[in-house]
Amino acid sequence: MKTRYDVMVVGGGPGGYVAAIRASQLGFRTALVERESLGGVCLNWGCIPTKALLHGAEIAHTLRTAGDFGFTVGPTSLDLEVLVGRSRSVAARLSGGIAQLLRKHNVDHIKGEASLAGKCLLSVEDGSGPKTCHADHILLATGARPRQLPGVVVDGERIWGAREAMTPTQVPERLLVIGAGAIGVEFASLYADLGSQVTLVEMASEILPGADEEIAARAHAALTERGLRILTRHALLKLEHQGPDGVSATLAPTGETAPLHVAADRAILAVGVTGNVEGLGLDALGVQVQGGFVVTNDWGHTGVVGLYAIGDVAGPPWLAHKASQEGVQCVEHIAGIGRGQPLQATRIPTCIYSRPQIASVGLTEAQVQAAGRPYRVGRAPLQANGKALAMGEGNGLVKTLFDEVTGELLGAHLIGPEVTELVQGFTVARQLEATENDLLDTVFPHPTLSESMHESVLDALDRAIHH
Amino acid sequence: MSGISTVTMPKWGMEMVEGEIAEWHVSEGDTIAEGDDLLDVETSKIVNTVTAPAGGVVKRLLSAVGELVPVGQVLVVIAAAETSDDEIEKLLAGSVRKAAPAEMADESATPEPQSAPATASASEKPASPAASSAGENTTALSAGPDDSAVAATPVARRVAREQGINLHQVVASGRHGRVTLGDLEAALQSSGRSVPRPYSAARPELRPARDDSAVAATPVARRLARELGINLHDCRSSGRHGRVSKADVEAAASRASIKTTAAKSTAACASSVAESRPLSGMRRTIATRLQTSKREAPHFRVQVDVEVDALLAVRKQLNQQYSEAKVSLNDLLVKASACALAAVPGVNVQFDGDTVQHYADADIAVAVALDEGLITPIVRAANHKGVLAISNEIRDLATRAKVGSLQPEEFQGGTFSISNLGMFGVDRFDAIINSPQGAILAVGAAGERPVVRHGELTVATVMTLTLSCDHRIIDGALAARFLAALRAFLETPATMLA
Repeated sequence: MKTRYDVMVVGGGPGGYVAAIRASQLGFRTALVERESLGGVCLNWGCIPTKALLHGAEIAHTLRTAGDFGFTVGPTSLDLEVLVGRSRSVAARLSGGIAQLLRKHNVDHIKGEASLAGKCLLSVEDGSGPKTCHADHILLATGARPRQLPGVVVDGERIWGAREAMTPTQVPERLLVIGAGAIGVEFASLYADLGSQVTLVEMASEILPGADEEIAARAHAALTERGLRILTRHALLKLEHQGPDGVSATLAPTGETAPLHVAADRAILAVGVTGNVEGLGLDALGVQVQGGFVVTNDWGHTGVVGLYAIGDVAGPPWLAHKASQEGVQCVEHIAGIGRGQPLQATRIPTCIYSRPQIASVGLTEAQVQAAGRPYRVGRAPLQANGKALAMGEGNGLVKTLFDEVTGELLGAHLIGPEVTELVQGFTVARQLEATENDLLDTVFPHPTLSESMHESVLDALDRAIHH
Repeated sequence: MSGISTVTMPKWGMEMVEGEIAEWHVSEGDTIAEGDDLLDVETSKIVNTVTAPAGGVVKRLLSAVGELVPVGQVLVVIAAAETSDDEIEKLLAGSVRKAAPAEMADESATPEPQSAPATASASEKPASPAASSAGENTTALSAGPDDSAVAATPVARRVAREQGINLHQVVASGRHGRVTLGDLEAALQSSGRSVPRPYSAARPELRPARDDSAVAATPVARRLARELGINLHDCRSSGRHGRVSKADVEAAASRASIKTTAAKSTAACASSVAESRPLSGMRRTIATRLQTSKREAPHFRVQVDVEVDALLAVRKQLNQQYSEAKVSLNDLLVKASACALAAVPGVNVQFDGDTVQHYADADIAVAVALDEGLITPIVRAANHKGVLAISNEIRDLATRAKVGSLQPEEFQGGTFSISNLGMFGVDRFDAIINSPQGAILAVGAAGERPVVRHGELTVATVMTLTLSCDHRIIDGALAARFLAALRAFLETPATMLA
């Protein structure tokens, strides 16, 4: 093992491995230390394996609705082991792919655990005894893990975290999902499609806190229509085992004195994440940690010489694409080739893979209102979109928000089929500071779901043609 | 417009007289768009990409990878697909010959790589009204106050910056009064597509070290050198009164051409040669500059041993107290040298053979080893900076040196240099002066050594410093005074605070 590098990256998730490859491309001698599988949570226990499972759920949905298209489908059954196995093998294949990418880009991949041993010093334990490595620039990309609740034991048997929820051995008949953020809603949607009776519990007044309220309300309605039971304004008091193979939750409905008891076979805890800041030696170096996340400046610098933090461990939004971009920008800034502005949170798109899908970029209507500027709203219901109707997925909305004075696209919020693929159009527009007129002048292909994006912009100017 | 554009070797900074073709991004026959990358050019220490000034078909690539091309010489001809070979040959016959002498005649004026050949070709034909007014329009387009507040689309802003156009000069037709790409194209077209790039303004330099007009040479030698594209600095001066003679220029020219014929001759007796490759731009710069320094500047060395226990204690305190910096012994040496240069300003000089320039600020060049050579980024006005600032600045400069993203002004100039081989375990060594500076400090490793203090043998952490000086401007006594001052600052670090 070499012990001198220009750049060392701790953590091989989408933030870390992308940053390491970029550093090597720029000419830095670079190493990446990862204690588990390359790819991090995203690839091994997050985005990718859940998408594999969700695709299975979608197939279940398609089979159920095949009759609408004239198909007669005989009795179907699900071999869960095959579905989960497929999800795991996709993750494993991609993780192997990253090892190959690191080799190709000349990044030394060190399998081990790293902690800071001083300024620009990293103690690395790779199984052959700890070694001290020197690097002028150290990037912490250690990610985050599910937040725990006091008094709730995630035992992996009856009370699941995200990992167990991704590797079930059977589909629970009754499932309780605590927390209706992106992860909670995705699992709720997935298991409902696989046949569970799902109860989704959220402390806030609406599911998907932080999303545009109109979109969240539509998601709420769509999930309810699918048969999910949603309890908002319910705080979790207690979650414990009940009977031989079940769980019981005690919930406190806001404004009511009597607690509510909900029984289920399994429960998933999805109440946010906390940064992996422990055991890194941050205190000794005087690194500031706030609320479980490392404090940095706009370019990821922690204030300690040569030490940077990027991705989930550096705070929200906790998104793989944010981590990758932050990693690249941090490394380019170190190399003195950083262009323009640091990453802006309002230009980072968010995607939720429930059914229906939800995607957004920029400010919500409530945020625009709070900012006090005059604005225009455009709404295009997918009922008016030919492609959506042809797909049998007319339930959806494309909502756009524009600054009335400058014409800037302030935000875009979408719900409906494949909207996670549509949002990128609005993201480009936001990055380029496009106005409503630029979008009006843009030609959208027919017949596509994307036409509803155009229609939404037209509506913002009271010029809607198709609805 | 003739529809033919040429791209010449650009001039990035005053020192640049030639560039090496590092890589071609296009081939003859390729159809390209305006702004496409054409080739990478390696110069002294930087590699930059030259982009297409206009779209069209690549008709001629006139240099091969590895070739050294003088500034102003045509590299690429781009023309409309239907342009005939005759037209291109005619253009080339005119421009290649004319570009070089124009360049030589006036070193201080930044030649315009794109417009020079275009003007040359226009002069062969009866000048059209558009062509004759092109120069004025061009100047008008680039003039004006800061245009960062002018509304423009992102693409338009980028093109304008690349083309050196001031957005105030462009009529905006876009939404909300923004300047669009179309507006820029219209403005460019009306000026005959020859817009100067603001290289000279963006990259100021202290002195044109490669200007060979001051080198003594015979008239024939000077003219021959110009014809052959040889810099007189690269020639021996075997003539009477130390002048460069015709034979010296011819020898230099044959040395330059050996490089191209070397490949052929070594192919015949290749068995013993593991690898043969021409010098990179960086190595060539190092070779030329140090050869010149060694030849021109009479070096002498003065050496002292310095006890650094107190300095190491200060370093430890600083590093314990401040998490935002990691101060090295070398950082403290830069600070101490800056203090010593302020105390003994006679060493803080540059000398071009005629004039001694004295500087108020200590701009200290710090040698940074790279895989393919070394580079000496400069800590400007180190005498006004604290140790933490110096330390972080050196860290940043060294980091960017490794990836080649230093700007020319960050490594050109300087009034004093420090080269430290202590980290490689070297006890002491001599360095060659980084001309036109007057002196360079060579720093060895600090280690425990026996010292005699008040008649008692004891152990101290000692480091040997060797100062190489140019005796033309720095005498022994001055060098000794400087080293004494430097040692005092290093041995009693608190005095650096004064």
